[in-house]
Amino acid sequence: MRILLVEDDPLVSDAIVRGLATAGYVVDAVTDAESVQGRLDTTHYDLAIVDLGLPGEDGFTLVKRLRREGSPLPLLIVTARDGLDDRVNALDLGADDYLVKPFALPELAARCRALIRRATAAASNEMVVGRLRIDLAGRRAMDDAGRVLELTRREWSILECLAHHSGRVVSKERLIQAIVSWDEEISGNAIEVHVSRLRAKLGDAATVRGIRGLGYRLDDA
Amino acid sequence: MSGSSSTSTLSIRSRLFGYLLLPLVLLLIASIWADHRTYVTPMYDMFDRALSHSAVAIAAHVHKASDGHLYVDRQDPGPPLVRAPGSSPLPPPPGDAPFDRDHPSEHFDPEYRPMSWMRLYSGARENFVYRISLADGSTLTGDPSLPVASGEIIDNLTYGEAEHAGLEFRLASYHTVVEGEPIVVTVAETVHRRDTVVRRLDTVVGLSDGIQLLLVLGLCLFGIRTALRPINRLREQIVHREPQSLQPLPLEPVPSEVRPLVESLNNLLMTVRDSTLAQQHFLTNAAHQLRTPLTGLKAQLEVLANETQDNAQQERISRLQGSVDRLAHTANQLLALARAEPSAHGPSDFVAIQLDSLIGAMVDSMLDRALANDIDLGAECEPVQVHGVYWLLHELLINLVDNALRHTPRGGDVTLRCGLHNGAPYLEVEDSGPGIAPAERERVRKRFYRSAGSDGQSSGLGLAIVEEIVRSHRAHLEILDAHKGTGARMRITFPRHD
Repeated sequence: MRILLVEDDPLVSDAIVRGLATAGYVVDAVTDAESVQGRLDTTHYDLAIVDLGLPGEDGFTLVKRLRREGSPLPLLIVTARDGLDDRVNALDLGADDYLVKPFALPELAARCRALIRRATAAASNEMVVGRLRIDLAGRRAMDDAGRVLELTRREWSILECLAHHSGRVVSKERLIQAIVSWDEEISGNAIEVHVSRLRAKLGDAATVRGIRGLGYRLDDA
Repeated sequence: MSGSSSTSTLSIRSRLFGYLLLPLVLLLIASIWADHRTYVTPMYDMFDRALSHSAVAIAAHVHKASDGHLYVDRQDPGPPLVRAPGSSPLPPPPGDAPFDRDHPSEHFDPEYRPMSWMRLYSGARENFVYRISLADGSTLTGDPSLPVASGEIIDNLTYGEAEHAGLEFRLASYHTVVEGEPIVVTVAETVHRRDTVVRRLDTVVGLSDGIQLLLVLGLCLFGIRTALRPINRLREQIVHREPQSLQPLPLEPVPSEVRPLVESLNNLLMTVRDSTLAQQHFLTNAAHQLRTPLTGLKAQLEVLANETQDNAQQERISRLQGSVDRLAHTANQLLALARAEPSAHGPSDFVAIQLDSLIGAMVDSMLDRALANDIDLGAECEPVQVHGVYWLLHELLINLVDNALRHTPRGGDVTLRCGLHNGAPYLEVEDSGPGIAPAERERVRKRFYRSAGSDGQSSGLGLAIVEEIVRSHRAHLEILDAHKGTGARMRITFPRHD
C-alpha cells in the first residue's frame, strides 16, 4: 500500500513517514501542492494525506482540483483548524475524511486503513475486517482459514451494512432499513436477536460491539 | 440606585408630557383668573345699574299730599299679569337698557317698571330691602334700619356696602327732590345674588377652559407620539436584532437629533466587526502555529518510542509524551475558549442542530478512548433540536465527555442524554465517578481551577469552555448528582423554542 503525503512541516512529515512505515505503508512525502501532479503521473497511490495549510496552493484548492480532474484517489485531510466550515468545505469538495492536528499516529493509521479498505472494496468487491474476508459480489463471508460462514439473508445484510461502516457506529434504525423491504415491519428487539446470532457465527474473526442507546460497531477483533 | 435610575430612565414621551402638563395647568389657572377679572366688573356694574333703576322707579311713586306731607302711592296694582281677551296688546317688556349716567331717567313709567319693582310690590323678598328717607334722616317708608349709601354722589346716586340683618348687602341711594322736598331712596340687595351669578360664570369659564386644556393635551400627546415614531421604530429594530448581529443600523428613518447616536453606534459595530474578523484570523493562525509543531513533536516521540529498545529511554520518552499530550490538550482548550467567546462567531453560524445526531457523532469519536479505559459509553436520546453553533456544541460535548471519562474509573459508565424537559431542550452527561461536592460546584466552573484529586492531564479549562459556550447559546449549566451512584451529572438546558 502506497500513500502520498502532502505536508510542508518537515518534523510532522518525517514522523508520519516513519510512523506509517511501522503500520506497513510506503509513504512518499512532498512539501507542496505543485509537486503532487508529477508524483501521481508516475506512481500509483492508494491514498493521499493532504495538509490544508500548505504554502502556495492550499489543501482546499488541491482537493478541488484533483476531484475536478476525476481522480478517484481517496483523500484524507489533516488540518490545524478546527472550525466547522473548514471540515464541511473539505468534505464537500470531495475529501473522504479529515483529522484535526495534533493527532496520534495510531489514529492516523486507523483512518488510512479504513479509507483504503473502503476504496478497495469498491474496486474489488471484497472487504477485509479483522480476520474476516467479506465477498460483496458473492454475498458471503469467510474467516482467515477459508471457512465460509453460514449466514441468513438478514444476518448477511447486517454484516454488510456494518462492514461498509466498519469502525463507525451504525444506528439500529439504519440496520433496520438495511434488512427490511418496504412491506415488512421489524422491531429493535428483533435486530438484537439477529445481531447476537451473527456474533456467535463470527466467533473471534471480528467483533460486533453494541453501543448502549446508539447502535453497533464492527471492529477488527 | 434604583430610585435614581427610575427617574432618569423616564421615557422621552412622559418627560415631554410632564414638561407640557405643568405650564399648561398654570396657563389654565391664569386664563380663568383673567376671564374672571374681565367680566366681574361689568357684571357688578350691571347689577348696580339694575339696583339704581329700582331706586329711581321707587322715587317716581313718591308724591306730596295736599297737607304738604309726602306719601308713596303703593296702590298701583301693576299691569294685569294675564292679558284679558280682546284687550289691546301689551307694549313689549323693557330691555335692560344701558344706564346713561349723564341723563338718568327722571320719570319712571310704571308700565315699564323693571322686575325689581314688581318684586318690591309683590311682597318684599328677603334679599331685597328699601327705605325712603327724608332730609332730616327720618324714614318715610321701608326698613328704617337700612343705612344710606355713603359713597361719592355721581348723577344723584351713591353706592355702598353694609351689613344688614346679618347679611352682606349692596346699597344704592338715589338723592332726589320731590316737589321741593329732598328725599333719599335707598335700595339694597344681598351680595349673595351677584356672587352666585359670578360663581356660575366662573364655573362655566373654568369648565370650558378645562376642556380646552384637555384637548390641547390630547393634541400634544398625539403630536409627541407621532414625532417620536422614528425613534420607536429604531428601538424596534434594535430590539428585534439577533443579539450577536454586527450589521450597521439603518440611518434612513432616524431624526437628525438621534443620527449622531446611531452613527457612532454603527462605527462601534464596525470596529467590533473588524476586531472579530481580526480575532478569527488570529485564531486560525495561532491554531496552525501551535498545532503543527505539536503534531510533529507528538508523532516524532511516538516513532522514537517504537524504535527504542532501552527501557530507561522508553520511560523518559513516555514522560515526554505525557507532557506533550498535556501541552496539546491545553493548547486545544485555550483555542477552544478563545473560539467560544461571543466575538469569535457571528449570527450566521447559528443553525438548527439535532442534538441526538450530535451525540451520535460525538460518541463515535470518543468510543475508542472509552473502550480503552473499559468504560461503557452510551446514550439515551430523544430527537430534539436546538438553535446553535454546531462546532461549539461539539466542543462543549467533547469537554463534558472528556471530563466524564477522566473521572470515571475502569468498568464505570458514562451516559449522554438529550430530550425535552418542560418544553426546554436539554443535554446531559452523567458519569459514575466520584462526583463533585456541592461546595466545589461553583469553583469548578472557574478558569484553570483544578480540583485536589484531578490528574496531571487536566488543564482546568474544560468547564470554563463549557460555561462560555453555554452562555453564548443563552443556555445554562447545572451540576447535579447522578441519578444513581455517586457520579456527577452535567445538565445544559437550552432556551425554550418559540
